[in-house]
Amino acid sequence: MNKSLRHLLLPCLLLQLGGCSFAELTVRASMPMIEGGMLAVNREDDLLLAEAAIPANIELMEGMLINAPAHRELRNYAAEVYYGYAYGFIEDEQPQRAAKLYRRGLNHALYNLRDQGISQTLLNGPLTELEQQLEQLNQKSVPALFWAASNWAKWIDHNRNQAEAIAQLSRAVLLMQRVLQLDETFYYAGPHLFFGVYYGSRSPMLGGNFELSAKHFDKARQLNLQPLLMIDLLQAEFLDRQMFDQQAFHSRLSKLIKQDVSAATDLALINNIAKRKAQRLLEKEAEWF
Amino acid sequence: MVLNSLSKRMTKLISLGFVLLLLNSPAMAQQTYTLKFATLIPPDTAWVNRIQQWNDELEQQSNGRLQLKIYPGGVMGDEPDVLRKMRSQQLHGAFFTGYGISRIYPPARVLEMPFLFRNTEESDYVRKQIMPEIEAGFEQAGYQLLGWPEVGFLHFFSKLPITSLDELKSRRIWLWQGDPMGEAFAEAAGVSPVPLSIMDVYTQLSAQHGSIDTVYNSPFGALAMQWHSKLSYASNVPMTNAIGSLVVSERFYKQLPQDLQQLLKTTGKKVAEDINQDSRRDNAKSIELLKQSGIEFSWDWNEAEQQQMLQIRDRAAEILNESDYIPEAHFSRIKNILSDYRNNQPGQ
Repeated sequence: MNKSLRHLLLPCLLLQLGGCSFAELTVRASMPMIEGGMLAVNREDDLLLAEAAIPANIELMEGMLINAPAHRELRNYAAEVYYGYAYGFIEDEQPQRAAKLYRRGLNHALYNLRDQGISQTLLNGPLTELEQQLEQLNQKSVPALFWAASNWAKWIDHNRNQAEAIAQLSRAVLLMQRVLQLDETFYYAGPHLFFGVYYGSRSPMLGGNFELSAKHFDKARQLNLQPLLMIDLLQAEFLDRQMFDQQAFHSRLSKLIKQDVSAATDLALINNIAKRKAQRLLEKEAEWF
Repeated sequence: MVLNSLSKRMTKLISLGFVLLLLNSPAMAQQTYTLKFATLIPPDTAWVNRIQQWNDELEQQSNGRLQLKIYPGGVMGDEPDVLRKMRSQQLHGAFFTGYGISRIYPPARVLEMPFLFRNTEESDYVRKQIMPEIEAGFEQAGYQLLGWPEVGFLHFFSKLPITSLDELKSRRIWLWQGDPMGEAFAEAAGVSPVPLSIMDVYTQLSAQHGSIDTVYNSPFGALAMQWHSKLSYASNVPMTNAIGSLVVSERFYKQLPQDLQQLLKTTGKKVAEDINQDSRRDNAKSIELLKQSGIEFSWDWNEAEQQQMLQIRDRAAEILNESDYIPEAHFSRIKNILSDYRNNQPGQ
């Protein structure tokens, strides 16, 4: 290579490197806006407005991840927002579309876990090996583990007609068990809600345990300082239904709908989603009992 | 007297009018029936989706006169609970495994005699030959047998290796509590099993010092019940092809008009066949999925072990005959049908 060409390439190279760093720097600089946006959506009590706003946030995050694919925080937020959008606005009307969104959320969380030694091969392989690797993870991995397990369990739930999906449930459970060990308070005591549903949604013959389910729901209540209606919603939908306790199902949901939770501003969206879902569940009461 | 006769005629006319009114009323024309149906199979699985499709078909073909109300996932309890609820008319129909079937018509379980069938073609053939008498047995017990979807071939699953009969005997083997067939085999094999309700199996497998370390189930059953997550080994040779049944109580069935009885029978038979296909597909796939999960399938019998197993089976058959659970004549008949079938196969 001649000298003049080298001189020409050097600035180009620097420009490229500079450009790459610049994109990542921009993403980093934008994180407070993303965090603010997440907080604003969570405080939204107008479900129509929230439903319309979230897709734009998703696209923004996806765009930013193209520039900064290894940004762990952003990946975790993306996994969270896919879960929230699918659960809150899509799955009741379009379950198959919701399954695809949960899958996307799962992929974002798994991207982060891959860097922590949880490879796809390990996730598909023997359970004991996965369990051993999970033991190596620490507090830092909690968000990715939590959103991976949550999205995965939901994806499985929407694909229960396939043996392959059913076989994966024990893996999602292992991930969430590790979260429970590392931080039981994460995301409004989410691990306790997960296991409240897990043990409450199946007959004891299939691994259900009603007593344990009730304990997890109670623990979630105890750990949440503000009223989180999702706890009652899930207990009615899964545990009360599985126990065939129509009275508990009806009274829990009716009470939930009437509860004034306006003071819990940071939980406005999740509580309003719970109220809307409670109404839908009550409409199914005659069919289920 | 005249007044009396007039009054009588008036009463007759009024009664007749009332009867005609009743016959023409929309309530009579649109008499609807809801068959409350329970199963242990979880909601939204392929099998329950088939039951849901069955409901859609019943509703459509009966113009809304007959429908199912489905209680999946064991919300109505274990199979004996469901049977009790069927007797008290709280429920009208259910999917039962061999365990439930044994409480309706025990001789039907001759089809579950271990190490009897080499493949599904053999079990399909034999079942077809004896189906009329099984149906009659169900009817006599107060049930209509609509269809015969199978659970699939059962394997042993264990936390510890099982590579020989002696090793198997040393394991703490679960026995479905109150199952005379399992008890007979345990006695014949000289095994002391641990009787437990199926509801307690998962808990005991999960416990650090649980009372059992070995269970039996179909490959798909082990997956669906999540038992596989607590186990490491499985036997290669299946024990038996576990049966299932789609049943409706005779009392419910008898109150249906003839056209709806016919509809229930034909569609029930079809849905059972569909579930059967799903079951075979899912069980085949599940073996691969279990292997991926780290479960090691082992123990291919040698000639001596095979003979030993057949001796145990025949000894168990004697015990079941002594208790009149499965009369010897039934077992002999099955063996003869099977023998004829095998002799007529090419290459025999």
